[in-house]
Amino acid sequence: MIAEVFTALIFFTSLWLIFSEKLNRTITGLLGAVLMIGLGKLLHFYDESQAVAAVDFNTLGLLLGMMILVALLEPTGFFQFLAVWAGRFSRGRPVLLLVLLGTVTTVVSMFLDNVTTVVLMAPVTILICEILGVNPTPYLMAEALLSDTGGVATLVGDPPNVLIASAAGFSFNDFLTHALPIVIVAWFSALWLLRYMFRRELAVRPPNADVVLKLNPRESLDDPKTARRVLIVLCGAILLFFLEEPLDLSPAFVALSAAAVALVWVRPDINDVLRRIEWSVLVFFGALFVMVGGLEASGVLGGIITLLERLYTIPPVVFGLVLLWFSAGLSAFVDNVPITIALIPVLQGLEAHGVNVQPLWWALAFGAGFGGNGTIIGSTANIVVASISERTRTPITSKLWNKRGLPVMLVTCAVASVLYLLLYPLFTR
Amino acid sequence: MIKDCMKRNVFSIPSTATIRQAAALVVERHIGLLPVVDEQGKPVGVVRLGDLLSLELPDFFNLLPDVDFVHDFGAVETTRPTPEELDRPVTTLVQPRIFVEETCGLLRAYALMVKHNLHDLPVVSEDGALVGIASRVDIGTAILSAWKTVTPSNL
Repeated sequence: MIAEVFTALIFFTSLWLIFSEKLNRTITGLLGAVLMIGLGKLLHFYDESQAVAAVDFNTLGLLLGMMILVALLEPTGFFQFLAVWAGRFSRGRPVLLLVLLGTVTTVVSMFLDNVTTVVLMAPVTILICEILGVNPTPYLMAEALLSDTGGVATLVGDPPNVLIASAAGFSFNDFLTHALPIVIVAWFSALWLLRYMFRRELAVRPPNADVVLKLNPRESLDDPKTARRVLIVLCGAILLFFLEEPLDLSPAFVALSAAAVALVWVRPDINDVLRRIEWSVLVFFGALFVMVGGLEASGVLGGIITLLERLYTIPPVVFGLVLLWFSAGLSAFVDNVPITIALIPVLQGLEAHGVNVQPLWWALAFGAGFGGNGTIIGSTANIVVASISERTRTPITSKLWNKRGLPVMLVTCAVASVLYLLLYPLFTR
Repeated sequence: MIKDCMKRNVFSIPSTATIRQAAALVVERHIGLLPVVDEQGKPVGVVRLGDLLSLELPDFFNLLPDVDFVHDFGAVETTRPTPEELDRPVTTLVQPRIFVEETCGLLRAYALMVKHNLHDLPVVSEDGALVGIASRVDIGTAILSAWKTVTPSNL
């Protein structure tokens, strides 16, 4: 009982520290992880070897592999090229510019880390808006919200998906057949909603729209040779993701193989590449796995599972919808990664008790993915866009995000709920 | 020593002035660095031409890896700072003070300019009052002028 109380205390205090931004999330994670192991050793319920076993190396490997590919692509100017191309192609028409920038960011972030995509696209987006003399806010928010929404469609698009796929054994294709159709509908709903909410800003036709035609995308691509090589390797990796099941490959193996091939082909300064890897994210994930492993070992999660089992007399589809909105609500305020990592053993426990948890995994993916749109702190992409906008004349405030982002979250979750309800049989297998 | 090569005719602005007044003086005197002084004439910091221009070229430009592909700055070209921005006190733009005393050696002065990426270096007297200003050209040519004392080796 003491173990259960203290592990729960460590975990929820950590979540609170992350949520209140009192302590950096990676530092909090590390502290929580060592406290969990220390307590476990003291009360004999958890030790180092169990902690190592709790880490999901498939998730870490996949993230590391994809991060190396992004690190190689980043200095080539490829992301800048895409944004400049979108600006030029739009001929300065606001709605077209919004659609193009939103689409490009979404498609890229379905396969590559969406935070990096947004970090590199946002400055060019602001530049294009400043040149046109229009307010960059709608475009920046569209990039963050649409890429967050679109990322739910693929296994590699969103960290919670990576975690869920690894825990539930879902393949890349499972996401294309189960998540993609719903995400497409949700994505277009989000786009339509953004178009409507920003109708006043988008109605202003820039007086000198032709100026974007003088942008030269070619000049923004600094290293076309490297960009081409990394993109070829990335396409190969995506192809292997499709063939993951027949070839019996794990996503981590595919991603790390692609990283190795790209590194050999490009032969960059390896220290420079490794400096661009987001180690803080990897350490945070690892620490969370250890922390949740402690929760599981102490029996806290077992208690929650027993409690949920009793609730399972309600129809499973309702249970799925409750989980979708519950995880969405939490993800709007806390990082969706700790929520997903904490819910995974709960769902696995329910499965061990004979519950069909397949539809619950998908509910979690939609909830954790779309929930992040709700507030300015809901996802890292939102935080990044807002902090970059502080360097312009029109900073994006938390209040503005609640006015424009929260409706997007509610609509995408509502769309997902309706389709989840209608297509429920699909999600049971 | 720096006092032998510095310009003694130095313009400065009181710390109570606005950004608008600072910009006007920079334009009038065609200078790149304006020391900001307190009531006793002691420098509290400097305003550089670049600091004033940052109001014209927004901060996000620093996030762009390059701007080679932008051939026309469009609306940015004609966007001016707002009246509110221009009427803010000049102290909001002031950079930390880097000054040297009159007795400072030339190479130390030059090294400070290189390390802190300065183009002009304000000079103060022993009691801290602003007495002059030396540019990279002033200090650089003063250093180079000593080379004439190096006699050719084949003589």
